Amino acid sequence: MTTHSAELIRLVAMREIRDRARAKSFWVASVILLVAVAAAVIIPALTRGSQATARVGVVGGQLAALTQTVKEAGRVSGTAVTVIPLPGVAAASRRLRSGDLAAVLVGDSEVLVKQQPVAGTSSPGASLPGALSEVGGLQRLYALLPPSAAAGIANHGIALPVHGLIPPPRGLASRITGLAAAILIYVIILTYGVRITIGVGEEKASRVVEVLLTTLRPVQLLAGKVIGMGILALAQIAAMVAAFLILGHAVGSAAVQGAATSVVLAGALWLLLGYAFYCTAYAAAGSLITRQSDAYNASIPLQLPLILAYVLAYTVLYASGVNWFYHVLAFVPFTAPVAMPVLVAVGAAPAWQLALSAAISLAATVGMARLAGTIYERAILRTGSRLRVRQVLRSAR
Amino acid sequence: MQPGGQQAAPGASGMLELDGLRRRYGDVTALDGLSFAVPPGQVFGFLGPNGAGKTTAMRAIVGVASLDGGEVRWRGAPIGQEIRRRIGYMPEERGLYPAMRVLEQLEYLARLHGLTAAQARAAALSWTERLGLADQGQAKIEALSLGNQQRVQLAAALAHGPELLVLDEPFSGLDPAGVDAMSQVLAERAAAGVTMLFSSHQLDLVEHLCQSVAIINRGQLVAGGAVKDLGQAGKLRITVRVAGDDAGRWAQDLGGAASVENNTGGAVLLALRNRADAQAVLDRARAAGPVEHFTFERRKLSEVFRDAVGSAADPEADAEAGRGAGAEGGSRA
Repeated sequence: MTTHSAELIRLVAMREIRDRARAKSFWVASVILLVAVAAAVIIPALTRGSQATARVGVVGGQLAALTQTVKEAGRVSGTAVTVIPLPGVAAASRRLRSGDLAAVLVGDSEVLVKQQPVAGTSSPGASLPGALSEVGGLQRLYALLPPSAAAGIANHGIALPVHGLIPPPRGLASRITGLAAAILIYVIILTYGVRITIGVGEEKASRVVEVLLTTLRPVQLLAGKVIGMGILALAQIAAMVAAFLILGHAVGSAAVQGAATSVVLAGALWLLLGYAFYCTAYAAAGSLITRQSDAYNASIPLQLPLILAYVLAYTVLYASGVNWFYHVLAFVPFTAPVAMPVLVAVGAAPAWQLALSAAISLAATVGMARLAGTIYERAILRTGSRLRVRQVLRSAR
Repeated sequence: MQPGGQQAAPGASGMLELDGLRRRYGDVTALDGLSFAVPPGQVFGFLGPNGAGKTTAMRAIVGVASLDGGEVRWRGAPIGQEIRRRIGYMPEERGLYPAMRVLEQLEYLARLHGLTAAQARAAALSWTERLGLADQGQAKIEALSLGNQQRVQLAAALAHGPELLVLDEPFSGLDPAGVDAMSQVLAERAAAGVTMLFSSHQLDLVEHLCQSVAIINRGQLVAGGAVKDLGQAGKLRITVRVAGDDAGRWAQDLGGAASVENNTGGAVLLALRNRADAQAVLDRARAAGPVEHFTFERRKLSEVFRDAVGSAADPEADAEAGRGAGAEGGSRA
């Protein structure tokens, strides 16, 4: 009986997959999502490499020696450089802020840049400021070689400190990835969810469900449907994550090498959890309608929590930071699929919180599947006016 | 093609039994202790006014409506999911995936009924061929005419080689050619030993096609049995025509032996008190002139129906049970 049941569910799931895979809209959406991911990875890498000539200011010290240092740093980092002698640090800062200069070498003491780089995301020689600090440090080392310097070098290395005029981006790549994850999770859950609602509504409105349910139990039809859709969603998620990781490594994207990868993986996990939690609910919504045209409206109440989490994500990622309300949303199964990856992106969620939120989501998924299954089973064959959830739960099939 | 076709309990082979079925939808009683049995190998008609509970009963047989009480048995055993795979069902409100292609749809439904992919393919092809849909195999359902959609629906009910056919209004919406094709298929399936229950409002058609009927009203059985027996029950009637007497004056005073029910251009329909009075009436007719026509009339099924259902067949009762139950009425064209 169980193998028979599995076979029936497989048949239903296969039909769903064939049905969707035949729809042009599915492939158009898939391609658009993949192109968006590819663009997000490749475009920053391209713009970084396209900087033709960097203007580097020098302040104090001997101009010839500093020019030599800048040229050497340019060679090391693979950047063409133009040296701009400047009267003082104040002028240098002004021109840095305006974007006129890429970096300023201040004598043999430090390197100034507009924005403090993120520590540890790339090797010092890979960027012009990094190379400047390296080479400048070496020059200084050669100039003074008293034994005391050896101890300092042993303790602190040879690089000069790099000081930014404005605070560091605190994982800008991670935040951008977090926003992209929030958008994709929101879009995919809503797309597939509404698709399920419409599919169930279509079966009910066209009355084909009456034929299907002579051989299928409602729960088998429901399971086949959400599994079939889930396989498609999973394939789409896997393709996007793979594109992110493979392209990112290919172009040496800082986002892939840095903390953003953890955001992508968390995003993929909560996308799965979110789909599992919502899919049966969307099916139950579809079972309540009686006309095809009601399908979209029936799904709207289920869209609202994710819309809330999505809209508030902007405030967390760009403005005020994580407040307690958003932190709570990351543990509520309705909003966690978007809220938790956003918390991961800003580094506000330790591992135990991820585990706890995932556990809550899984437990809630079981409860939701039971409730939605009951609603679906009782409502799917009832025609007449549109049904209300409470009315359905009180009645028998 | 007929998985599990082996005989079960002796004496119960192919017998469908409805036993005391009860179902209420809110204030509406759809089934009120409905009981009857459908023997195998017959075309069996299921009649009743709108809202009588036919659709609810049929949905209960195939398991898409639950019962408050009573039991449906097939070969003596309650119907479960395993047995339902061997039922062919045609719902009153037709149900097919609008955007799915004909063959694909038939194959899918046949596979849900337990056929292998190859069997399902073969059955879909042979039934589309048989029902004149061979050219439409790759067409989407929504692109077909209503009549052809109906044929696909029948093919869907038949493709898995069911032992029991439950067809709700299979003739509604069919053109005369479609009616003939459908009648032929039903007669042939019955001859092949399939047990069959179909509902219809086309009483003349049912009379012509069915060996037996069950007539229900307000969720209860009100008449049933072989069509020829039902036609002979009740008052005996004769039609007599006397040449030259278009007004039927000869029949005006027949005493208590017979009473005139109708006169169409001299063909006088008479209800007799008993069979023996027929000869006396004939004698009176011959005395009045040459008798051109003399027949015993069997009651038509429509009369049996009207007698059995009585005044309850008024339209108000229909609308009521159609709602809520989602059972009857709706988009019957």
